[in-house]
Amino acid sequence: MNSNWHRRLLAAHTALVYLFLYAPIAILVVFSFNAARQTAFWEGFTLDWYRRLLGNALLFRSVRNSLVVAGITTAVAVLLGTPAALALARHEFRGKRATQALLYLPVIIPEVVLGAALVTFFGAVELRLSLWTVVIAHVVFSVSYVAIVVRARLAGLDPSLEEAARDLGAGPVETFRRVTLPLAAPGIVASALLVFTLSIDDYVITSFVAGVGATTLPLHIYSMLKVGVTPEVNAVSTLLLAGTVVLIVVAHRLLSSETGDPK
Amino acid sequence: MKRFLLTVLAALAAIAFVSCGGAKEEAAPAKTAPQQVNIYIWTSYLPQEVVDGFQQRTGIKVNVDTYDSNEAILAKLQSGVADYDLVVPSDYMMRTLILQGLLQTLDHARLPHFKNLDPRFLNQQYDPDNGHSFPYLWGTTGIGYNRQKVKEPVDSWRALFDGRYAGRILMLDDAREAFGAALRLLGKSINETDPAVLRQAAGMLKKQKALVRTYNSSDFANLLAAGDVDVAQGFNGEMAEAVANAPGRLSYVIPKEGGTLWIDNAAIPKGARNVDAVYAFLDYVLEPEVAAKIVNGVHYAGANQAALPLIDAKVRQDPSIYPPKEILDRCELIEDLGETTQLIDELWTEVKAQ
Repeated sequence: MNSNWHRRLLAAHTALVYLFLYAPIAILVVFSFNAARQTAFWEGFTLDWYRRLLGNALLFRSVRNSLVVAGITTAVAVLLGTPAALALARHEFRGKRATQALLYLPVIIPEVVLGAALVTFFGAVELRLSLWTVVIAHVVFSVSYVAIVVRARLAGLDPSLEEAARDLGAGPVETFRRVTLPLAAPGIVASALLVFTLSIDDYVITSFVAGVGATTLPLHIYSMLKVGVTPEVNAVSTLLLAGTVVLIVVAHRLLSSETGDPK
Repeated sequence: MKRFLLTVLAALAAIAFVSCGGAKEEAAPAKTAPQQVNIYIWTSYLPQEVVDGFQQRTGIKVNVDTYDSNEAILAKLQSGVADYDLVVPSDYMMRTLILQGLLQTLDHARLPHFKNLDPRFLNQQYDPDNGHSFPYLWGTTGIGYNRQKVKEPVDSWRALFDGRYAGRILMLDDAREAFGAALRLLGKSINETDPAVLRQAAGMLKKQKALVRTYNSSDFANLLAAGDVDVAQGFNGEMAEAVANAPGRLSYVIPKEGGTLWIDNAAIPKGARNVDAVYAFLDYVLEPEVAAKIVNGVHYAGANQAALPLIDAKVRQDPSIYPPKEILDRCELIEDLGETTQLIDELWTEVKAQ
């Protein structure tokens, strides 16, 4: 009886927390189908904003730019950050502490400072601002996140597993490929998703370093403030949301199907 | 597990490269492209139809990027590595950009259609003799109000200081605009520099603060449309949009004491690398037919008088877009006040911090 009451309270609490987390997103999705141009009232169902989205070349291009930047940033950051995490977690070397501190710095520095510093740097080396300067800037802070997340994962692993593999005759490459990497994989995937998300909604740094043809989605949305945000933004956000959900579901499926696979 | 990792990386790379084709060509440096012009402009300031028309006629590729504030233009141009050939700063930012040497002088000889511009908007304090720019679009600051909640018609800035609307008033979060409303009520210019008068205006704004629901410069039309506020100071473009969506319920007026006039200007940055292309583009937008298309598309008033007969009657006759001459004559441009700017900022901080 008592535990039943507890359970209900817990369920109610959980429901409230989820409501708090997801109500704004639900409203955004609902209003992307709203016939009213201004976001205040519900005036009936329409697919007009999705149709207009197809005709809005600038908005469309900004979504594409954001995906390009986030995709490349994630791939590069994972490729650079994972070895850094391995080195820091598994090896002792001179200057390790300094390396570690320098690696954490881009996460701690305020974005405004990082953005201003990067644009000054690009100016000094005469690198013209473009989509690639945005990618470079995003990689700068993303590598740190990957290194931190992957390193935390590796720190939680028992080094004796790798030792056992070596005892059983696996060379360094094979140990890495068949023991370390699979164990670190959840951390790598988590960091990739994190970095992809950070990159896709970064505004501050991007606004400093974006050049010709490099307007990303956040830049575009902010720039719409002058004339008022239209439900087209709700529509594009809903599509991105749907894409993200699909990505996560696919990742989850792959992950659970492979853990059952004794390889 | 390994396969999963590879899948994720491959997926991310695929996302990157699938969408990459177009991005590459756009991000390519100007030298390799045959002819292009890179434009940095406010959102919704350049209809796609106008861009397409130029590309078809000249074969010059047009790249459009958008910004959300005048300060963004300043930051980009100061970097020295931005590749923009055309920017559209507002009046007060023009002055800063010129003083910092970030703009090229404008060669009027290369703009045969310059003559189409209304002299009323030429040779302003911020850019004497239009040495660096020409007016692209302009607008006003006035009052939007809810006619169902505010019974008598609003015609004066006094409405924003009226105790009957306590808690339902919105002011722009902008020192010069807020002081502008108070100064106009005192019968002074919005560019008043007498400290005693400015203190008097600050006193009015402090008293007014108890009545103000919010100070907001970006979302005022939505808040008015949603019924969160009933009397709101605001720029005409968004207000016109809100009024058009709720005819009979909302109205926009320029107060009889006079409102603020603002002008956004086309200018060429110092580092522009496609000078021939940008002059071709600038002269193109000065053609009456093109200028009319821009105004019809963006619902802001243009400074091109030759275009007037070609503009949709609905737009041309909308007093919130093209106010009657006698009202426009009472509107003033916000001018650079030099040292007085600091006093106004201090007084505004006092008002806001109170």
